[in-house]
Amino acid sequence: MKEILKIENLRKTFNLSIKQRKLEGTTEKRKIAVDGLSLSAYEGEIYGLLGPNGAGKTTTLRVISTLIKADEGDVFVDGFSVKENPDEVRKIIGFLTSELKMEGFFTPNYLFDFFSELHKVPENIKKTRKELLFKKFGIDKFAEVKVADLSTGMKQKVSLAIALVNDPKIIVFDEPTSGLDVITAKVVTDFLVSLKQEGRTIIISTHIFSLVEKVCDRVGIIIDGKMKASDTLKNIMGEKSLEDAFFDIYEASEGKKL
Amino acid sequence: MKNILAIFKKELKRFFSDRRMLFMLIMPGIIIFFVYSLIGNFIPQTDPDFTYIVYVENDPVEFSSFHTNELYKTEIHSISESDRETVLAAIKEGEVHLFISYENDIINKIASYDTSSALPAPQIEIYYNSSSMESSNIYAYYSGILNAYESTISNKFDINAGLAQYDLATQEDMTARVLTSMLPYMMMIFLFSGCMAVVTESIAGEKERGTIASLLITPIKRSELAIGKILALSVTSLVSAGSSFIGLLASLPQLLKGMNFTLDIYTPGAYFALLAVLIVTVLIFTVLLSMVSAISKSVKEATSYGVPLMLIVVVLGLSTLMSTGSAKSFWLYLIPLYNSIQCLVGIFSLTFNPIHFVVTIISNLAFVFGGVFVLAKMFNNEKIMFSR
Ligand SMILES: Nc1ncnc2c1ncn2[C@@H]1O[C@H](COP(=O)(O)OP(=O)(O)O)[C@@H](O)[C@H]1O
Ligand SMILES: [Mg+2]
Repeated sequence: MKEILKIENLRKTFNLSIKQRKLEGTTEKRKIAVDGLSLSAYEGEIYGLLGPNGAGKTTTLRVISTLIKADEGDVFVDGFSVKENPDEVRKIIGFLTSELKMEGFFTPNYLFDFFSELHKVPENIKKTRKELLFKKFGIDKFAEVKVADLSTGMKQKVSLAIALVNDPKIIVFDEPTSGLDVITAKVVTDFLVSLKQEGRTIIISTHIFSLVEKVCDRVGIIIDGKMKASDTLKNIMGEKSLEDAFFDIYEASEGKKL
Repeated sequence: MKNILAIFKKELKRFFSDRRMLFMLIMPGIIIFFVYSLIGNFIPQTDPDFTYIVYVENDPVEFSSFHTNELYKTEIHSISESDRETVLAAIKEGEVHLFISYENDIINKIASYDTSSALPAPQIEIYYNSSSMESSNIYAYYSGILNAYESTISNKFDINAGLAQYDLATQEDMTARVLTSMLPYMMMIFLFSGCMAVVTESIAGEKERGTIASLLITPIKRSELAIGKILALSVTSLVSAGSSFIGLLASLPQLLKGMNFTLDIYTPGAYFALLAVLIVTVLIFTVLLSMVSAISKSVKEATSYGVPLMLIVVVLGLSTLMSTGSAKSFWLYLIPLYNSIQCLVGIFSLTFNPIHFVVTIISNLAFVFGGVFVLAKMFNNEKIMFSR
């Protein structure tokens, strides 16, 4: 099993603006979003980062995708450090989050071409890849419609296609099904499984137990920025349901029963 | 390089293939044209009770009825109250509006003049100043009435047939003065507002909508992103400013009617220098506004941060309205924006200095390069790009 993603002792803090301090009801000037987190994900697996809101999932994924920098620790993507070689990491990663938006004025066709160009994808490869992905997601019929005019589900599918322009080795997906209707959500989860079957590594974040149970091979339970458990889904669950296993870990870490 | 081109093309496509955007870009020009043309029409030509001061030499009593009419109240002075030189100087200054000089004993000379003879006809000279609306008005009246009279008596005298300079405003002086005082200011404002709309939309707008993050996770260099954006935004801003400028030029004849107005006094070299100064100025505006936009969370915020910059431009621009020529000190031409305005003043007032021009271009380009570098750093700074 090849270790394709390795997070070592990751720590990330944010300065809180006065407005944020009020919002969070704290007087602390700094917020520790991720606190000494480590994990390993292996080739051809889906890794699920499971945790409540504010646990630090998105922050972790943003560090992996080089959007933000860690205070301490490092992330290695196929051996490349996000600190030392962010450009190499950007070449082999595909990042999907509701935070990344597409310019609504452009068409899926144009955006696919544009991002392929930035990733230096050869013309002929781009063409076949576009045909394949557009067909798979049913984007082909909407290829010349402005993104702004597409439905939410279709937008999500277009983002997904565009995240794959560079045929990434590792796909980072923040909350893959959030905000999607049941049908699009199923298309997306089925697609994740098919990507995995092609040998790609996928890391997702979610707070939805059923999604993890359905698609993940390995799970990390993250609470308050700390990794409480990281193991195969089987080992985490043991004889229990994932939900029960999660709350056991949660209550142990908070030191109280819910 | 290819990445810069890709960003450049994307930005241009964004602005030029969107009808709404395109409209936003050229609308100011259209508005300026209509507003200025309207203003030109509404400028009260002159107060109907205005009294024109007219000096006359050898005023024939037979013509005295010309001095009284409904439209133009006149105050007639004999040249003997002053002297020729003083009166001509006063016309230049706009204190006196007209000086009519009849030949001595002109009525008898007209009566005895034989149009078939080769001798010169009796002379009437009218001195005026076309850069003054009042002087132009009263000149039009007297020359009109005398011409009409002349034709009824079969051309027995000539008006302003001599070699003297009758219009005491020189064409060059006048055009240069009007343009110097107005255009540098207008141009800076148009360039700035063009840039403001385009740059805030592209940089703060992309931040606000979250589309810039999509670019930042691709392997392109931050400097490539910065250069591609700045070039494309500069081109777009120039188009927008160009539309305002064309609108202004098209409305100038209306706005300045009554004055003999022409742009012919400027050489191709002056136009080239003008274009070069405008381009570096747009680059500077684009870089500055890009930085302002980069630190803003939304277009609205960027626009409000742009206001102090706008004020600086307005103040710098206004300072030229009062001056008659460009600044002389070499060092002042190292200061961006100030040097642009001074160069524009120089070009329009025909006091253009090539050294100042070269210094301006080089200094501005240096600032732009520095700015691109800083902007690339800003794109790489998560506290700036992803602040909450
Ligand atoms: N840019 C930021 N500035 C300040 N605080 C932040 C920022 N990003 C995240 N945080 C804080 O860090 C914590 C973890 O956030 P996040 O990683 O988004 O959690 P999750 O995705 O697990 O819900 C939260 O308390 C959040 O408010
Ligand atoms: Mg999140």
